[in-house]
Amino acid sequence: MPRPATVPMANDDPPWLSLKMREAMEAWLFLGPTLAGFLIFFAGPLVAVVGYSMTEWNLLSQQSTFVGLKNYSHALTENPDFWLVVRNSAIFALGLVPANMALALALAIALSRPFRGVVVFRTVFFAPVVTSAAAWAIVWKFLLQGEAGFVNQMLAYVGIAGPNWLREPNWAMVAVIATRVIKMVGLNMILYIAALQAIPRDYEAAARLEGASSWQIFTGITWPLLGPTTLVIMVITTIGSFKVFDHIYLMTGGGPENGTLVLAFAIYEQGFKFFNVGYASALAMIMFVIVMGLTLVQLAVRRRDT
Amino acid sequence: MASLTLRGITKRFGRTEVIRGVDLDVKDGEFVVFVGPSGCGKSTLLRMIAGLEDISGGELRLDGRLMNEVQPAKRGVAMVFQSYALYPHLTVRDNMAFGLKVRGVSLPDRLKQVEAAADTLKLGALLDRYPRELSGGQRQRVAIGRAIVGEPQVFLFDEPLSNLDAELRVHMRSEIAALHKRLGTTMIYVTHDQIEAMTLADRIVVLRDGLVEQVGTPRELYENPFNLFVAQFIGSPKMNILPVAAVRLPAPAGAVKVGLRPEDLRIVAPGAGVVDGTVVHAEYTGAASLVHVGLDGGETCLVVCQGDGPGDGARVGLGCEVGRVRWFGDSGQAVSQS
Ligand SMILES: Nc1ncnc2c1ncn2[C@@H]1O[C@H](COP(=O)(O)OP(=O)(O)OP(=O)(O)O)[C@@H](O)[C@H]1O
Ligand SMILES: [Mg+2]
Repeated sequence: MPRPATVPMANDDPPWLSLKMREAMEAWLFLGPTLAGFLIFFAGPLVAVVGYSMTEWNLLSQQSTFVGLKNYSHALTENPDFWLVVRNSAIFALGLVPANMALALALAIALSRPFRGVVVFRTVFFAPVVTSAAAWAIVWKFLLQGEAGFVNQMLAYVGIAGPNWLREPNWAMVAVIATRVIKMVGLNMILYIAALQAIPRDYEAAARLEGASSWQIFTGITWPLLGPTTLVIMVITTIGSFKVFDHIYLMTGGGPENGTLVLAFAIYEQGFKFFNVGYASALAMIMFVIVMGLTLVQLAVRRRDT
Repeated sequence: MASLTLRGITKRFGRTEVIRGVDLDVKDGEFVVFVGPSGCGKSTLLRMIAGLEDISGGELRLDGRLMNEVQPAKRGVAMVFQSYALYPHLTVRDNMAFGLKVRGVSLPDRLKQVEAAADTLKLGALLDRYPRELSGGQRQRVAIGRAIVGEPQVFLFDEPLSNLDAELRVHMRSEIAALHKRLGTTMIYVTHDQIEAMTLADRIVVLRDGLVEQVGTPRELYENPFNLFVAQFIGSPKMNILPVAAVRLPAPAGAVKVGLRPEDLRIVAPGAGVVDGTVVHAEYTGAASLVHVGLDGGETCLVVCQGDGPGDGARVGLGCEVGRVRWFGDSGQAVSQS
């Protein structure tokens, strides 16, 4: 047998970069664009807002003076509207998040298994998510009109005299929460459907064989296994509910009597209606801290539970 | 403990009938193995016995009681899944206690029964672990443990060992055999590993396309297969099937195929055996060699031969005791010698 030919020796000189350095360079090369985007479009504005929040800057007069933490102290201790706004945001979140998640889960359970027409139902519930906020608001403002509105006419059928939904502060809050839930529930439903479908069917079979009822299977197996998904949904829904702006702007404009004036909308008003850029920036920072705090609490609670 | 009777059992998924009329009697305490090629309906049949699939037609009886419409949990059966189906968020202890808990057994009783089952399977040290912290073999054992806790009348196993490596499979096989001996419970076991089937079974049920091909003890199936399918399915390496004209043997009336088991064939001088050929190649496996012989008629015949086989290209004859030869008719049915 012929001996295998010797492989010609590669250049034995050490390469000008060690393997580790070369890998590091490649890593930075790939990270570069994203990192640049992050710095320019996220970190930059954030730092700028922190800066603005310590100035008194009126967009009209184009004058900017450094005032330290005055904007913050004004919001937290002097301006009574601030606490109203925080309270409204909290009510909005407390109303929206549980309702959205419960409805999303119920729909997901109903629509996670294949049956005839399941795709139609999924589409129906998801469609509002991708519907324009303006169209949604126009339709619902119409439906929620005082006496002639469709909703109140339906209620009248069953003998309930519905309120003038968007003209009374408390009912307006209920109305914006409900219409927002209906609009956005499809997104969480899809996430829950994906999570439910990822649970192996054998768990249910095993549990059923052991005598578990459907409710016991849900509480003992399905719900715990949905934990990570529930956390993600809770965090993004909470953040989304604090950031809600377009919906309020289009449905109520923060009214009536500031009954639906939430944080994000107040920031908009301060910044773009009253041109108090400094104060608006301070509010934005406060909102950032609130949302961040809530997220951390949710993550911590979850970690303790597992 | 219970006996099990299937009468004309059928199962349709939509328009396709996957179980097409199965009759079977399983005696109390018997170990019955379902074998058959992939997709023949083994799992479906097992799940119908468990109650996880409803029965399209026929009767299922446990100890004489009609079970068709009885809820899964009320049938007194426990199942070990191929995937194990251990609840990932519960410890081994809670996995094993889950069934007792949902049936409202008190906590002290639950713990006692779990301990007892854990002792049986030597799981004591694993009770506080989560499934993800267990090896494949340990998970398997926990899955069996969970099935034992409920003290079922019938155990159902769906390819319980197919996710384990070869060595562990042999080990778990003997553990399952020992468990059956100790508990004496009726067991139905699905596998497509025929060594598992041969070693574990009191009786084997060979399924094909939703029909039972043959039921019998491992020895009966090996020595007297009813048809070509069973003959080729049982035994490893597979039985050689040749046209009757290829062999120098007096064929019984009606036979068109002849079956020769590789382990029954001997290598002899050309012309001295029942058929001649040329060695194509030989696989050395340690104790024996598996010799591939290209017959003069064009077929290939496998021969198990002690020690080293003849070299490649050697002319050989193959000999066989007349009593070990199997004959098959044109529809594959066995044809007896005389
Ligand atoms: N839910 C179902 N819907 C439709 N067809 C099904 C369903 N479950 C099983 N089948 C079909 O029934 C037949 C038998 O399936 P089964 O799972 O019982 O096979 P098997 O013998 O267990 O195969 P394997 O050895 O691969 O596990 C297959 O053809 C399969 O495609
Ligand atoms: Mg199967």
